[in-house]
Amino acid sequence: MGDESSILSEGDARHLLRRAGFSATRKELQQAGIIGSTRGAAADRLLGYKVKPFKPPGNNQRKQHDNLLRNLLVTKIPVQEKLVLFWHDHFATGIAKLLASNFGLATKLMASQSKLLRTFAKGDMRAFVKAMGKDAAMLEFLDTVRNDKFIPNENYARELLELFTLGVYDSAGNENYTQADIVQIARAFTGWRYSRSGKPYLDEGQHDYASEYLAERGPKRIFETRGQIPGGADFDANGEGAAEIDTVVDIIFTHRDTDGRNTVARRTARRLLEFYVGPDPDLALIDAVVDDSGFDTSFDIRALVRAIFCQDAFYETGLPFGPGVTKSVKWPVDFAIGSMRLLGMKFAGSNKYVPGGSYSGAFTHMENMGQILLDPPSVFGWDWETAWLSSSTLLARYNFARDIVGSRGGGRFRPEKLIDFSLTDPAQIVDQVLDALDVGHNFSAADRLVCESYLTDDGSITPDLGNYQYVNKKIHGLFELVMKSPGYQVF
Amino acid sequence: MAITRRQFIRRTGLATAGTVLGPSLFGSPFVRRAFADLGDRYLVVIFLDGGNDGQNTVVPVSNGGGSLRSDYEVYRRAGGGGLRLTPAQLGPTTIGNDPNTGAALALHPGLFGLKQLYDAGQLAVIQGCGYPEYSLSHEEARLIWQSGNPLRITPLSGTGWVGRHLAATYGASQIPGVCISDSIAAEFRQSTTSVLAIQELENFGFPWDGYGDDEAAKSAAFGALHANAAAGSQAAQVFIGNAGTATLNSTSNYPALHSDYENDRGAFSALYADIDRSVAYDLREVAKIIYGVNAGAPGVSARFFHLDNGGYDTHSDQGGATGQQYDLHRELGDSLKVFYDDLADMGAADKVLTVVWSEFSRRIQQNGSGTDHGSQGPMFVIGGPGALNGGVYGNHPNIAGADLENDGNTRYRQTAHAFRSTDFRDVFGTILKHWLNMTQPQILSNILIPDAAAGEYWNLTNGIDLDMGFLP
Repeated sequence: MGDESSILSEGDARHLLRRAGFSATRKELQQAGIIGSTRGAAADRLLGYKVKPFKPPGNNQRKQHDNLLRNLLVTKIPVQEKLVLFWHDHFATGIAKLLASNFGLATKLMASQSKLLRTFAKGDMRAFVKAMGKDAAMLEFLDTVRNDKFIPNENYARELLELFTLGVYDSAGNENYTQADIVQIARAFTGWRYSRSGKPYLDEGQHDYASEYLAERGPKRIFETRGQIPGGADFDANGEGAAEIDTVVDIIFTHRDTDGRNTVARRTARRLLEFYVGPDPDLALIDAVVDDSGFDTSFDIRALVRAIFCQDAFYETGLPFGPGVTKSVKWPVDFAIGSMRLLGMKFAGSNKYVPGGSYSGAFTHMENMGQILLDPPSVFGWDWETAWLSSSTLLARYNFARDIVGSRGGGRFRPEKLIDFSLTDPAQIVDQVLDALDVGHNFSAADRLVCESYLTDDGSITPDLGNYQYVNKKIHGLFELVMKSPGYQVF
Repeated sequence: MAITRRQFIRRTGLATAGTVLGPSLFGSPFVRRAFADLGDRYLVVIFLDGGNDGQNTVVPVSNGGGSLRSDYEVYRRAGGGGLRLTPAQLGPTTIGNDPNTGAALALHPGLFGLKQLYDAGQLAVIQGCGYPEYSLSHEEARLIWQSGNPLRITPLSGTGWVGRHLAATYGASQIPGVCISDSIAAEFRQSTTSVLAIQELENFGFPWDGYGDDEAAKSAAFGALHANAAAGSQAAQVFIGNAGTATLNSTSNYPALHSDYENDRGAFSALYADIDRSVAYDLREVAKIIYGVNAGAPGVSARFFHLDNGGYDTHSDQGGATGQQYDLHRELGDSLKVFYDDLADMGAADKVLTVVWSEFSRRIQQNGSGTDHGSQGPMFVIGGPGALNGGVYGNHPNIAGADLENDGNTRYRQTAHAFRSTDFRDVFGTILKHWLNMTQPQILSNILIPDAAAGEYWNLTNGIDLDMGFLP
């Protein structure tokens, strides 16, 4: 059993970089300087980044998307950007609805939300949830702007409980809240609007005050029957009006499940484990990272992620395929950005196209792979794991790989910078290509033999890396093959 | 309109359903049984992109008990744009009467091919299709139809109504759908099963870098790596092994359908080529696939097809009995006639249902030489003579001046009104229920979802009708 004082091997260090960011190139490995340090120290080093709020510029959806994607490629703090992707999925807000309802402000509101995600990505989750409730893009996306005292709109209240904090069910399978709780919480959010500059404010005239609605809607009280809060809690305890939505969040963060554990802490830990480790983390692991981090009282996201980066289960997903080993499918953004980072490539031109092959724009590639950043398919975010993969999205990944290796002759794919061109042994060449693509751990001996046979045409030719025709055909071909392999689709 | 979200059940279980199917997927008895339950049926969706002018697509020739023809004359005679279709021009393409007013109706003269199908009992004309609070934005309206989601119910956005049907019916490594296009149509979008985008079967291949003609070696290695994965012990690994194999196989199996068809059915192939328009060529690709699947060709299993045709945004130079819209209608009608003749000859006409839609219609009042975006329009459903109840369904929109909206659009009319409109979801829903064998509860909980809380007209006012009658 390892813990925070376990020493990182080179393989562990690569796995940490690969999962905490987008790639683990030799250079990144060197710069990180975490081989031989403890898991805890390495996690502190990665998570100690200085927060860099970034507002993706662009006055239309495509430009803004492309600028965001480019930032993922060139960022010096991939650890922040990876965490931001988690929160983008968690607080999923889609620009399509904003474009339909407030076209002129849509990209501006998404840019502000992007900044918010970065500000809080490793911060205090309770403060994060409070801020998100007043975020202009969110006010628009989940209809808080259409929530008034006459007919309270329950959309945000429902998602606040179901997706952002508690979840519908706890670990024992019991419901965490009732419809009545949603109805009450919707009252707290009545009247919240945003100005033309995107600044949130409470329109008091549209807010539900108890004096006006006490008779028909009752006291402003939630969790009378759930959350192990005897008698429930009043969200006007700190006064009515603007204070209510913060009080609601404070109450939600005290909610306890059937086992008496903090409900938000467990659910957040579960989701972060699914993100950084893989599907179906067991309850013992969830409780371990909550206990190790003190997240159930501090709600300090950084501490929770640190605890995950110290777990055996985290490092075990970097082991070769095998019974009992959890593998997690790369998101399209991991596949695309990770590949380009590993290969040292850049988007080209103002349209951010991927060099080579079909010369398609980055947006088109991402759309075909099934992930348009800033436009998740719904408030549920994206479906993870094997739901990312269909024949069409796989073909989109294959197209991307084909395009990249096709950028030769003045293009940007430079295998001579990635592997040693004096090699002649096919096994060594395969090793180096797998290493350059950081996928050696997912290739079995049998897989390597397939690659070697490919390089030698089943033993009939000898690799000659001094021959540009051989390189263009077989070395480019091997990179392409590996990027299209099953092992490369998972972390 | 406020958008209210309803509880939505994620079907995550289905995403792994495909993993139990091995590489010999297409020979699997499980898959064959699913097809048998469907009654060996195919669905073709055709999208007329741009907003087809319904007012000149299904045209009143007489007043019957109302005033449709007189009202048509008021608007289409005026303005001198040459849009007016005369009774004489409409004579060869007359169909049935408007169910509401009894007015005699005719198809646009360019739709002579569809008129022939109508006479053979192979065409259902469904008038006045739309939805309340319609959008006149191409993009928004298109998405509403494709998603089957006029209320923009959040959990449905990003997926299409056909896609949700596929996700609920097929496994992850199956390939039930093909879009004759370079991209996946929004109707077919979902994340659970596989849909192919094929422009031409002849050129549908796996994307390999072409340097050195090394595709065969790479393909063999790709197959070997995926076979290793499929035989592995870890769930994601096995899934990817199977899905990659299915993808590789489809790119190697589909192109053969082209040569098989050309070899066996060259005479029909030439008929499509004679039309020499994109709808004809796209339908020929569909015919090739159906011919192959119907004949049990190895490795192909597509049942759902999508194609689209552009050019219907006729703000100017729309034309009347000749011109732009005539050419478009001629292309559509002639192509569908050849397609169904082809299908009949291969014994598959009764197995193939086609639905034709456009994102909106156009205004009755012409603007110079064209028309602007309008509200409700007609849909077409085409099938084999033994599989469709041909005829006229739905009411013609009321084009009397006094009844138009301020902007000149026909009104979306609800149940109690004589000119009751048809919710397009009733048409899709009837197809889902009577052609694709889904139950009404399945359809209304997963595929086309009404939302009572949002003041949804479909179920509250119009009454959901998934038994429109055009399918037995």
